[in-house]
Amino acid sequence: MWLILKHSPLTLALLFAPGLVVSAIFLVYPVINGVRLSLTNASPMRPIQRFVGLSNYTYLLSDRTFWEVLANSFVIVGAAIAISMVAGFALALLLNQGLRGTYFFRVAVFQIWVVPWISVAILWGWVFNADYGIVNYVMVRIGLIGHNLNWFADPYLARLVIILGFAWRMIPFMMVVSLAALQSISKEILDAAAVDGAGPWERLRDIVLPLLRNILVVMGLLQGVKLFQEITLPWVLTQGGPVNATTTLSLYAYKLAFQRWDFGLASTVGTLWLCILLVFALAYLRFFVSARND
Amino acid sequence: MTSGSSASVPLPRLHPRAVASYVVIVVSLVLLLLPVLWMVLTAFKTTDEVFRVPPTIWPSEANWKPIAYAFSGSLPRFFLNSIIIAACTAVVTTVVGALTGYGISRARHWSTSALLMFFLASMAFPLPLLMISIYYLLSVLQLLNTYAAVIIGHMLLTLPIVVWLTKGFIDDLPVEVEQSAYIDGAGPLRILFDMVLPMMRPGLAAAGLYVFVTSWNEFVFGLSFTSSTEMRPLPAGISLLFLQEFQYQWPEMMAVATVATLPILLLFLAFQNQFVEGVTAGAVKH
Repeated sequence: MWLILKHSPLTLALLFAPGLVVSAIFLVYPVINGVRLSLTNASPMRPIQRFVGLSNYTYLLSDRTFWEVLANSFVIVGAAIAISMVAGFALALLLNQGLRGTYFFRVAVFQIWVVPWISVAILWGWVFNADYGIVNYVMVRIGLIGHNLNWFADPYLARLVIILGFAWRMIPFMMVVSLAALQSISKEILDAAAVDGAGPWERLRDIVLPLLRNILVVMGLLQGVKLFQEITLPWVLTQGGPVNATTTLSLYAYKLAFQRWDFGLASTVGTLWLCILLVFALAYLRFFVSARND
Repeated sequence: MTSGSSASVPLPRLHPRAVASYVVIVVSLVLLLLPVLWMVLTAFKTTDEVFRVPPTIWPSEANWKPIAYAFSGSLPRFFLNSIIIAACTAVVTTVVGALTGYGISRARHWSTSALLMFFLASMAFPLPLLMISIYYLLSVLQLLNTYAAVIIGHMLLTLPIVVWLTKGFIDDLPVEVEQSAYIDGAGPLRILFDMVLPMMRPGLAAAGLYVFVTSWNEFVFGLSFTSSTEMRPLPAGISLLFLQEFQYQWPEMMAVATVATLPILLLFLAFQNQFVEGVTAGAVKH
């Protein structure tokens, strides 16, 4: 097919031009321009931009809020991904036993994946309501806690609520992808291991997990990157509070840009975020992929 | 019934391990769906009833006022905006993404591989960083506070996934069919529209559904690229209602949350099989 396309520049242009134009204007240019803006005091409130050198960077890197927000992002996203991956994979293992009726379960659980974030946010506000929320009521009734918790006033509890919201929304996707991955393993290998006397736990640890590690790592990485961008929940539910306990890097950058209209500083946060992601992604992939090749 | 791989032989239904599995499965199902159930149940209660201690589980009588509220005021407008934006984004992004995906799949070359990797990486680009420059662009083009502004935002959000989905889908279609048609004298455009397009329909449906769901749920672009109430998409509109006016009217807010969820849920229920195949095949293969 490549040969055909090579002889028809018009077809090639038709195929690639729209995608290339869109990505050049709305993906490549904004990143480059964003890095440039991070060196200015740009703001839609100001008619003239001034070059300010690295002062945005020195300001941010010496600001405690920035580091706190960065740590929040990693804690919240990391915990949510870990919880949803473990739960999703465990459910997939259960569903992969060939039991009858599990198709219904898969369909029912997967619906959670399309519940809009805004609905999750409002719902979480009600479920974790301090005085009338069902979570407090149930936990007091079964004796887990002595009195109602004020979930949104305590930094740790507020983070926990956000983590649970993220994780709950991600479990179905993790489950469905894990299930597809499990079903891609050939039965012969597992049967051979079973004949050699490997129990279910050994088969999981020594065969299934090593075989699926790359898929799971990529899944975790991609969904983690996606959650890093997600701000509906903290924005609507806690507005980033109490103080900055649930402000993630994306919410912080977003507030700087579209509430304080400080495009320069927000671009600096974005640029630093880009650098962090780059380092993090490289280290992550290198660690897992090279460990496999050893 | 799929035969499992962690157990070599499908378990008989009343085997103790099968019974234990069923119990765990049912308990997890209830736990996972409980929040959604609570949302729907609360939407049918009165404000008095939700503040009762101990809480009632079922509404003592069905109160339809919250649901009626969810269809009053600006909310129908928010709905309409979201439908228009999601539908336009789905069509535009699927077309653009499928063309690119097809090109990448068929034109094997280092440059197209690089393009594919670029799209993967672009999913991690910090959105606030992109939004700032796009905001400037849109204000120069006088497009702020229009559907086009939000559609552009949602397009850049979903284009990479559509490229990956369609590329993976086309990889599975036999290239020989297209080649023999070419040898028989069919032009590239005819091959594309008469042969490839019909074969790609399930892939396009999955991609379009993904875009529609993402656009329907997206919050930030809708919030910052619109400024007037009548241009707000659903999530942005609801969030402002929630934060400003109706913080403690829980039945009303649960009704709004339910009504915002329902259309997308029905759409998803209808098409999810193709969708699950598309997404999981992509995730497992690459």
